[in-house]
Amino acid sequence: MAENKLQIALYWGAACGGCDVAVLDTNEFILDIAAVADIRMWPIATDGKYSDVEAMEDGELDLTIFNGGVRNSENEQIARLLRKKSKMLVAFGACAYMGGIPGLANLTSRDKILDTVYVHNPSIENGGHIVPQPQSRLDGKVLDLPRFYRRVYRLDHVVDVDYYLPGCPPQPGQVKAVILAIVKGELPAKGSVVGASEVALCEDCPRTKGEKKIKRFYRPWEIMADPETCLLEQGILCCGVATRSGCGVRCPNSGIPCRGCYGPLPGVIDQGAKLASAVASIIDSKDPAEIETILEGLPDFTGFAYRYGVASSLLQRSYRQ
Amino acid sequence: MEERKIGVYVCNCGSNIAKMVDCDEVCAYAAQQPGVTTVKSYKYMCSNPGQEMIIADIKADGLDRVVVAACSPRMHEPTFRKALQTAGLNPYFLEMANIREQCSWVHDERNAATEKARALTLGAIRRVTYHQPLERRSVDMCPNVLVIGGGMVGMTAALELADGGSRVYLVERQNCLGGNVARVDLTAPYLDSARDMITALITRTKEHPLIEVLLNSEVNSLEGFVGNFKTVVETIWGDQAATNQYEVGNVVVATGYQEFDASRVTHYGYGKLPNVLTSFEFETMLRAGRVETKEGKSPQYVAIIHCVGSRSKEFHTYCSRVCCMTALKYAREVKSAVPDCYVSDIYVDMHAFGKGHEDFYRRGSEAKTLFLMYAKNDHPVIRKAGPKDDCEMLIEVNEKLSREVIEIPADLVILMVGMESRKDSEAVARLVNISRDKDGWFIESHPKLDPVATTTDGIYIAGACAAPKDIPDSVAQARAAAGRILARTIRGTIDIDAVFAEIDEDKCSGCRVCNELCPYSAIDFNVDKKRSNVISALCKACGACVAACPSGAITARHFTDEQIFAQIEGVLA
Amino acid sequence: MSFEPKIVGFLCNWCSYTGADLAGTSRIDYAPNVRIIRVMCCARIDPTFVLKALRDGADGVLICGCHPGDCHYSEGNYKMMRRYPLLKKLLADFGIQEARVRLEWVSASEGQRFADLVNDMTQRVRELGPSPVRMAQATDMAER
Repeated sequence: MAENKLQIALYWGAACGGCDVAVLDTNEFILDIAAVADIRMWPIATDGKYSDVEAMEDGELDLTIFNGGVRNSENEQIARLLRKKSKMLVAFGACAYMGGIPGLANLTSRDKILDTVYVHNPSIENGGHIVPQPQSRLDGKVLDLPRFYRRVYRLDHVVDVDYYLPGCPPQPGQVKAVILAIVKGELPAKGSVVGASEVALCEDCPRTKGEKKIKRFYRPWEIMADPETCLLEQGILCCGVATRSGCGVRCPNSGIPCRGCYGPLPGVIDQGAKLASAVASIIDSKDPAEIETILEGLPDFTGFAYRYGVASSLLQRSYRQ
Repeated sequence: MEERKIGVYVCNCGSNIAKMVDCDEVCAYAAQQPGVTTVKSYKYMCSNPGQEMIIADIKADGLDRVVVAACSPRMHEPTFRKALQTAGLNPYFLEMANIREQCSWVHDERNAATEKARALTLGAIRRVTYHQPLERRSVDMCPNVLVIGGGMVGMTAALELADGGSRVYLVERQNCLGGNVARVDLTAPYLDSARDMITALITRTKEHPLIEVLLNSEVNSLEGFVGNFKTVVETIWGDQAATNQYEVGNVVVATGYQEFDASRVTHYGYGKLPNVLTSFEFETMLRAGRVETKEGKSPQYVAIIHCVGSRSKEFHTYCSRVCCMTALKYAREVKSAVPDCYVSDIYVDMHAFGKGHEDFYRRGSEAKTLFLMYAKNDHPVIRKAGPKDDCEMLIEVNEKLSREVIEIPADLVILMVGMESRKDSEAVARLVNISRDKDGWFIESHPKLDPVATTTDGIYIAGACAAPKDIPDSVAQARAAAGRILARTIRGTIDIDAVFAEIDEDKCSGCRVCNELCPYSAIDFNVDKKRSNVISALCKACGACVAACPSGAITARHFTDEQIFAQIEGVLA
Repeated sequence: MSFEPKIVGFLCNWCSYTGADLAGTSRIDYAPNVRIIRVMCCARIDPTFVLKALRDGADGVLICGCHPGDCHYSEGNYKMMRRYPLLKKLLADFGIQEARVRLEWVSASEGQRFADLVNDMTQRVRELGPSPVRMAQATDMAER
């Protein structure tokens, strides 16, 4: 462990692995990182045990990059541990920043999830209705499992976060830029979103924008969308109007609508609500019955508008009894 | 968040607020709030001493925000804004909490009312913290005026305005001026000739150099804002049509009324019995100088029935105001044309409210008119008389004063049909952007204190289009509207509200969600910069674009997200 | 002490706020549970306001605008008419009972209607009980 090398850790909470792949996708840059830094923990790629981290001094880590949401007690425990041992903690990716796709679980309940996964699904025989318990006894020994929380939390719900790097995953070019900025010490005020634009996707999207008046919504597979024109104008729900740019407009450039993974614009406190306001306002009708019919073309608006942000929304979860 | 110095003033409004809201408690609650440095309670905040108190405190305590918990801001926001301005503070640093119209006057339990007053006051305190200084804009006031409707009211207003130096465009949809008064013979109570009055007006109007009379014309569109309207008028005569555009500063709506359709009342036999007439049909007969039945005979019995279509559960609940005196007028005219005729006046109440009315009523009874009273909704029934009867029809009346059922003979029946709002009043209201009440009458800015202005600046209403009224009141309103407009025009410019929407260029992504949302076409798109932009002179600050902008790039001055979020937090704390 | 709902009302200046004032000048009595926030037009109302009110402890949210066709700004209420059903869908998916958020058209002359509306909504929300959002605030962060 060289004295003046940066001490860094990368960790995943409730995650898919994509954020770690995004770091790896910086290609040769990884080698540059390895040259100037000691990676003390990175579950997907290198060694590093929890006990190693526990043994560190507080603040011994210069930087921890934490991706994934907080779904269970292990996620929270390690988040707190890493926070204690790190000078700077970055919430990396949509899950750490906003709750991400795991956050959609907040629209249902823990009991329903456990029931679907372990009891009532076509490929399971579980007449005993056995679901994982936080504590089990086996052969006279006690087995502790992380407790599955009742809902998903963002990283900053449980620890103090220094910077947020949005994206699902963050685009490798942005990852490189942010890490370089950290190394050089060229960062904005604490608490800022980095590695993303301050303006919506439309600014960078090459499609032409014209009159926005929608008479009908289409699912992306229902029509052959014109590749040159704004998707929303063609009736295909695209989250780009309400999402930060910085990803390189990869989705609309590939013919699919933006899904909102870079999160809301600065000052917008609920991305889904704002998208609802924008999309509904441009419906071209003054008749309540017709408006209802047009809205039937959006079969799961909530899931679309809050795909990454349920845990970040104003209501944060479902309150269905 | 910088330190604020907020002054909170809780008005007692005499006992109007104090009776139901514990003002001291509201004051004590306000005093606890961060940023509040001065809290006072006073009997009448809107009075001179009340305003002076605010002004003095602003100067002495260095207040930078003011909350007045009192009546509705629709009542006194301008008053208190002026006080702030006098004290040297930007008038938009004021917020009012409505603890009278929306609290003390509508709740009957003191604790609940006080708790609500506290919440509303806290909402105002939190909101006002985020108020920004705004400057009112001054725009030119075009002295021209558009008058819609060429009847008595339209012409009176036009002449008053033109005599005052304004160029007037008088738009009339028919091919002649005169409106409903031109269909009338004499007027009550002094029996002046309506024809003389209206002819004089028409002559003066046509000859006035500053009045352009547009007959066979309708207003197609009205765009812009007070002092700066553009209107397109279409004129059609025969198979030819022409449109013209005019620039005006103000508009007077004088579209009048239409009469109630008597055929809707089946029990009076209108349309079936040949000698049942409406009041207007009778006027036509009077103008021809005769009183006779359809068959050309002099009637021996004439009956006049009040409240046809008015004061009725079935048709219109309101009183049409002019019919009682007009009915007495008919009684006089019939007697004067056919001295031996028996005249019955079948009424509900005798509304003789105006100048000279009671005397006219008394003279009518002295002339031996038979007055029969019926109860509202217990109406008389007319049927054809039999061959043995010496009259055409018989009217059965449940006479209220004698409590007897009386049968009245009639050769001629005059139905006093009420006034109703014109079929096209909805379209007119939309055209000029004013509201109508449940009966279709145009709504004035304040029923007592501001009867000719409307909530849309620059649009005035006068005459029966606002509610049934007689000629004296209509003419008064016509002159009032003209006077109001002249008073404004004299200054040459007008101050308009500083509240409009603004797009932050740095935040706008060019998504164009907002572009089609503006009914005033106040949003345009800069193709080079790829940014949308609000034309502030056209913006009316409705906020539609503000709420729809998915980037939060559009701000509504004085109704920002920050201000409203703070108010939400305050009312729920 | 039985539960008294706190309802936030967003009223447009020209019609509904004036109608509420008319209820006042007519001295019509109604339930004290609605705290009114004035906007110039119901078109200003962002669904975010409704969610924020619920988040900040409102048991119900009432939105009032001019009757369709009578908006002072010509078409503002149509924007609300379009946003409202989508907002309803969001609320349903978040498990918020339907009667808690309501859109009604109230004109400047409908003072009695406004009073009746407030009474009706207050009663319905009272029957539903305190907002689950409010009740969950304390426990959500404390109890994982």
